[in-house]
Amino acid sequence: MNSPKNLNARERARLAAEQAAAHRRDQRILISVVVAFLVVVVAGGITFQAWRTSRSPSAAPSAIASASPVTITNGRPIPLGSPDAPVTITLYEDFHCPHCADFEEEFGPTITQAQETGVARVDLYPMAFIDEGSITAANAMACAAEAGFGQAYYLALFANHTLQWSDPQLIDLATKVVGSPPSETFQTCVKRRAHADFVTSINAAADQNHVAQTPTMLINGKDVAIESLTPESLKTMITDAAQK
Amino acid sequence: MSVSPVGTFATNPRLAAIAAWVSTGARLVLGGVFLVAGGLKVIDPQSSVAAVRAYRLLPSSLVTIVGWGLPFAEIALGVLLLAGVATRLVAVASAVFLLVFIAAVASAAARGLSIDCGCFGGGGDVAPGQTAYGTEIVRDVGLLLLAVWLVWHPRSRLTLDRFSSERDVIRESP
Repeated sequence: MNSPKNLNARERARLAAEQAAAHRRDQRILISVVVAFLVVVVAGGITFQAWRTSRSPSAAPSAIASASPVTITNGRPIPLGSPDAPVTITLYEDFHCPHCADFEEEFGPTITQAQETGVARVDLYPMAFIDEGSITAANAMACAAEAGFGQAYYLALFANHTLQWSDPQLIDLATKVVGSPPSETFQTCVKRRAHADFVTSINAAADQNHVAQTPTMLINGKDVAIESLTPESLKTMITDAAQK
Repeated sequence: MSVSPVGTFATNPRLAAIAAWVSTGARLVLGGVFLVAGGLKVIDPQSSVAAVRAYRLLPSSLVTIVGWGLPFAEIALGVLLLAGVATRLVAVASAVFLLVFIAAVASAAARGLSIDCGCFGGGGDVAPGQTAYGTEIVRDVGLLLLAVWLVWHPRSRLTLDRFSSERDVIRESP
């Protein structure tokens, strides 16, 4: 078949036309396949992320679930831990800031240990600048501290930082932290955004304190360079600060 | 026989061979960059959405969809480029993506925003002194050149692309 010498001009033209038609058909199929592949991957990806951010939170890491309830004051940080602790660790964090979640994963255990042994207390500025979920989570954090399970709720929020933080998710998280459905007061506090003004005031306070990035950490008022920090050096810093 | 539109160096086999290997390199670099950039963003949907929002270009209803979908589009393009499937078509799509990225970064710079492009994950607002618009645009222009090269000369080695672009060559060979 592939011996052009034996073919006359008409047959050659016919073959060429057939070949061109086949080529065009292949091109069309290929384009359809590629477009379909793109659409499927993107649609599947969006569905996957929607599921990932709207699923219910996982169990919280263990922490002291109950503490004395604290009073929420506009512009003032949420105190977590013993008021008599010699060291104050000030933290500026957004519950949706990825670096904050990394920070928590690396240094959270060290800080929690210092809180639970009464060496340190955390003054938390729950900032909200990334998205809607930052605001709802910061508000719920204030509600939880007020209800007396702030510390455990804080750890649980970061342990589930990829969630979007809808009201049901925030209440579900409280259920997992407390071990039973949270009080009606807490639920209303979450749904009504009872501490919306507080959240705004925290952002303003952070601005006023020249905090330009999250996470920002201060130990007894002194700025700590997080980039060069290790859990061990943090532990040493806390111990040193306690002895002064 | 008509000359295939694909393969601009068809008249010079030596140049064609070199060009094919250049195209292979362009495909692997561009595909690899897309795959890595998409992968890093997929891990953290929250910051991907935040990075899109930081450009202040899209209405909030679209920000989430784009923040979630764009990284997967990058991954898909990356996979197609690495595999060498429908290279010209995928290169056109890549060039369009890169032009959009360049325009977005340039507009952020022009509007005086202080953001990180979020090209490889992260992103969002940064301190005023910490922007890197110049570097980001230069990098994207470099990748755009690779995409344009591939639009011009999509035929390359080590591909799954025999299906269409090499078909004519196979038939035309004596």
